[in-house]
Amino acid sequence: MRIINIELPLKSEEIKMFTIRDKLLISGVLYTARDQAHLRLTQLIKEGKPLPFNLADSALFYCGPAPTPPGKVCGAIGPTTSARMDKYTPLLLENGLKVMIGKGERSRVVTEAIHKYNALYLICVGGISALLVQSIVSCETFCWKELAAEAIYRMEVKNFPCYVATI
Amino acid sequence: MTYIRTISKKMIYDAIIDAIGQIYCQSTPETIAMINNALTIEEDDVAKDMLKAMLLNEELAAKEKLPICQDTGIVVVFADIGTAVKIENGSLYSIISQAVTDVWEKYYLRDSIALEPIRCFSSNPSKTKDTLQPVILHLSEIPGNKLELHISLKGGGAENCSTLKMFNPTATINEIEDFIVDTVVSSGGKPCPPVFVGIGIGGDFEQCAILAKRALMVPISPFEKKPEYKKMEERLLNQINQKGKGIQGFGGKTTALKVNILSEPCHIASLPVAINIDCHAHRCISITI
Repeated sequence: MRIINIELPLKSEEIKMFTIRDKLLISGVLYTARDQAHLRLTQLIKEGKPLPFNLADSALFYCGPAPTPPGKVCGAIGPTTSARMDKYTPLLLENGLKVMIGKGERSRVVTEAIHKYNALYLICVGGISALLVQSIVSCETFCWKELAAEAIYRMEVKNFPCYVATI
Repeated sequence: MTYIRTISKKMIYDAIIDAIGQIYCQSTPETIAMINNALTIEEDDVAKDMLKAMLLNEELAAKEKLPICQDTGIVVVFADIGTAVKIENGSLYSIISQAVTDVWEKYYLRDSIALEPIRCFSSNPSKTKDTLQPVILHLSEIPGNKLELHISLKGGGAENCSTLKMFNPTATINEIEDFIVDTVVSSGGKPCPPVFVGIGIGGDFEQCAILAKRALMVPISPFEKKPEYKKMEERLLNQINQKGKGIQGFGGKTTALKVNILSEPCHIASLPVAINIDCHAHRCISITI
């Protein structure tokens, strides 16, 4: 198992260096998005409206955090099932999304879109929140606060552990 | 002569707060032992790395009282009520729901309930509760003057991989076993393997599903089960693990940690089979009041 430290945003040529099952320790910025946020992002793109953050070269983390306890950087975090986002993913890739982090397999359509747009799908072990929070430098609600756990959070991470699933 | 025993609201409320306070930050000791065992037999380096992360997480979460998973789940309770028990002041549901609401705030657990399941039917689609958090409660009667509560924090990812099929009564054991193995294996990494597989066989449509859920949660005495079912559990566990889906669906020797079957009589026209899956973050506890 190769272990590689990477900084986000990734350069296109970096993605080509990885092989499936490499362990990546990621540092940089992730935006969380799960079902409801995907629905909204997709609607905005279809209506030609601006997105709340620059999707090009960004990394999405399929995650709905628990509330942050006092004195902590963030609440419990971890990946949710990526397949639920499959329906929305090709359009996001077409609009520049480069890295996705979640758990479980992707559909054939998404896999082909990942190849086509030279993107990267990583899995992160589910059910290890206490360990993952150690890699979180900061976490704040970025937009759509009314969605609570399903809002978009901006997370700064350091050596966040993932494995390459699809390139 | 049996005396009616009155159990106070406070006793039940406190017991639930205490029970959930124990399980949100730690899988059952049996689960941790099984993950340790999976690590011992594993040869794949990525699978080993993931299993070590799970074990380290269990240690950290228990020590720092952090949730083992951000999906702190929906609360499922099987309440077995002694026929000689009277519950003081209010319904069991309202007491449990109040305790769950309060313990959720106490430990910063995630509100994961959509009050309206079809989100676009609500003007506030992210509403998780009115004043109290909804829970799933299954009631049944037992002899005596005790109240037994089997409590689980059930995550959504594994629950989504669960299924139920109404077989013909002449279905072969092979057909039933293939259905179970295919269900678990085709779930891949979605339910966060290594998983627990609860199987309900018999009953009717809903009883079968309830049996499958209960099979995940409740420790069963080996003497209460026919040897045929115990052999079937062993075969299923072997078949599932031989397919090699492995840890998080990323390969390895252990896809399932345990298969547990519960059965009940059924209609002569039917043979319902339900499969309920739980992740490795197996948060269950049984308490007696």
